[in-house]
Amino acid sequence: MSNKEKLKKMLVEELNIEDLDPNSIVDDAPLFGDGLGLDSLDAVELVVLIQKNFGIEIKDIEEARAAFESVNSLVAFIEKRLQG
Amino acid sequence: MTSSNNENADHRGSQWSSRSVGMLWQHRFFYLLIRLGGRRAAYFALYFVALYYMLLRPDQRKKSEYYLRRRFSGSSRLSLWTKSYLMSLELGKVLVDRAAVGILGADAVTIDVQGKDRLHELVREGKGLILITAHVGCWQVAMTTLKFLNLPAHLLMQREEGDVDRHFFEHAGENSSFRIIDPRGYLGGSLEMMAVLKKGEILSVMGDRMLGSEKSSVTVQFLGGKIRVPYSAYMIASATKAPIAVLLSRRTGLSGYQLELAGVIRVPGDLGRKNSAYLPYAQEFIKILEEYTERSPFQFFNFYDMWNSGSND
Repeated sequence: MSNKEKLKKMLVEELNIEDLDPNSIVDDAPLFGDGLGLDSLDAVELVVLIQKNFGIEIKDIEEARAAFESVNSLVAFIEKRLQG
Repeated sequence: MTSSNNENADHRGSQWSSRSVGMLWQHRFFYLLIRLGGRRAAYFALYFVALYYMLLRPDQRKKSEYYLRRRFSGSSRLSLWTKSYLMSLELGKVLVDRAAVGILGADAVTIDVQGKDRLHELVREGKGLILITAHVGCWQVAMTTLKFLNLPAHLLMQREEGDVDRHFFEHAGENSSFRIIDPRGYLGGSLEMMAVLKKGEILSVMGDRMLGSEKSSVTVQFLGGKIRVPYSAYMIASATKAPIAVLLSRRTGLSGYQLELAGVIRVPGDLGRKNSAYLPYAQEFIKILEEYTERSPFQFFNFYDMWNSGSND
């Protein structure tokens, strides 16, 4: 499973986005507000999930802001950190 | 994710609003009294101002009765009227004290902090510290005493248009000793709050009042009925493993306040996204708050129908 697929599955299952097929998540749609419709508490959980599932700690808000724009930006952030 | 820190709010109808009670000139009148005659002069005027509201503003009086009827069930109309007056007086004195600290300096009131050693222990855990409080006493002034922890403190606070009463740090024209996190900021300030705790610093939030979406709330039992309260603090505690210190302030007399460490709430990690996971911890806080209303019934400043705010299921 690619990191993108793993991430989408995680978003749907762990953030309780009911009745959504992970494959239907648009890669460049906003995660928060319009788009996937996540909220501020989902952001809290997302930080935890990224640490738990990918072993990556988000260090500061600016880093999170850039990463949390969309699935694409989050995957790019994760893969960059995994490469060290 | 939002909660407001304005105890001097105008509660239109039975719903809460953070808009201040009273006109700007009325607030300035009291600020002038404090400057010229100290707190005693302002207190003296309060008795008449509170009486005005009791006699000529039944809409304002009604707003305290939502809580008073539950706290003092079975009270006669006269008894409720008296209790409403006492509650208005207490609120007025708290606002005077808050302004006095800003105008006259921190020595204007004395604050007895109970639980200092325990607070130090919690900070030494190195996970940051969440201080959860409520609209009771004068939390803002009491928070000034937390300097003994030698850590930056951050308050989740929303200021609304129409707020004419000043916070104590605005009177002296100085920058706040606290850093304010605006819940209208990026992602409701949630990531900012986590970053604060990650640095081992202090985060202060209100646990008794909702703003924003009901999605961010849980339903708990309070004074014989159900209310909705935010659960974000408990979720952030679970995510960061930061301990939660319940700090409640009460006015103990003419010059004094007590800031009490009324409890420590530990939220296990990995509780996930479902709000039901955080219900026990929200209930633990509200139980402590209910015990507070037993001891200091007239210093609980939620002037709206908490039991009829949105859907309490």
